[in-house]
Amino acid sequence: MENPRLSFEEFKALFQDRFESQEELLREYHSLVSIFKHLDQAPVPDFSSEEKAEIFKRAWRERPQKSSWVITCIDLLRQPAVTFAVGVIVGCIVMSAVANNRLRLAQTASADPLLSVEHTKYTQTYKGKMIEEFYPEFENPKIVLEKAASSSPPQRTLYGTLDNGEITVVWNL
Amino acid sequence: MNREYPVSDEALIKAAQRGDRDAAAWLYSRHVDRVHRICYRIVMDPSQVQDCVQEVWLKVFRNLGRFRSGRSFAAWLNTVAANTAIDFYRKYTRQRNHPDVDETYVKASVADKQPGNQQLDKALVQQQIQEALQEISVNQRTAFVLRYFENMPTAEIARVLGCGEGTVRVHICRSLLALRAKLAGKLNQ
Repeated sequence: MENPRLSFEEFKALFQDRFESQEELLREYHSLVSIFKHLDQAPVPDFSSEEKAEIFKRAWRERPQKSSWVITCIDLLRQPAVTFAVGVIVGCIVMSAVANNRLRLAQTASADPLLSVEHTKYTQTYKGKMIEEFYPEFENPKIVLEKAASSSPPQRTLYGTLDNGEITVVWNL
Repeated sequence: MNREYPVSDEALIKAAQRGDRDAAAWLYSRHVDRVHRICYRIVMDPSQVQDCVQEVWLKVFRNLGRFRSGRSFAAWLNTVAANTAIDFYRKYTRQRNHPDVDETYVKASVADKQPGNQQLDKALVQQQIQEALQEISVNQRTAFVLRYFENMPTAEIARVLGCGEGTVRVHICRSLLALRAKLAGKLNQ
């Protein structure tokens, strides 16, 4: 006498250690099968159609409302291929933004060097932030190193302005 | 509502997620009886069952938007129904100040009424079964109901209850022992 709900094999696996003999195991199984028969005879009382309809109406009414295009977008993003593609695109955008910023930073740095030197045949002109910090009282200071001839000693001159370019300063160092 | 409507659950869910009320109604009508059975057998109080089933469907429609395609809707629904019924039962027993039975405790001493009586009438047997199922813990009862009434494999029950398969087997063993203890010798073989 097998029961579709509780097979003897399952019963045996659950209770093998509990009973001493196969006969006892079988007897207990048959006893439980009788209980299952009675369980089958105890149906769950059905809801009426009105009760069912009422439950559905309330549950549907109280769900969160979202516009259909939001749901379509969410649906689309849930597709693994789309998620992967979006990930790649976002990654590219982030990488390109980071790379551009780095270039811009480099450009900013090169636009305002600490010290720049211009060479001509007889002169060397030093200017930049470093010179400005040495002579903060002057505007656009630059130091010019001149050599009249290769054997003559170099002459250092500081050029700059004061009062917004109104006064020109030439200072032999 | 025709439960044999030849559209998959997945298609109905997608339509319901877009706000299609008819699709949601089809889905509901296809599964409402199973949800009702699970709740009824776990909560075990007819006056509370409708509220419990209502709660399950409120959760289902609130979270339908988050349901991922590719999963089994029936399995997800079973989980929602069983957990809601367990919570409902616990809340209800707390309100009644009627503690839930301890997990390790099975009252197995009720086989004392007229031993050997072969002519117990059906109603009495049903009552004894109900009593036996009420005396076990709600987790034990849930494991029993899902295994033997909903034919769910042990692994799935373990996922529903959030425990290991071994624990599920212990729950089932104890439920069967409780039934046996309550009804031993009282049934016609």
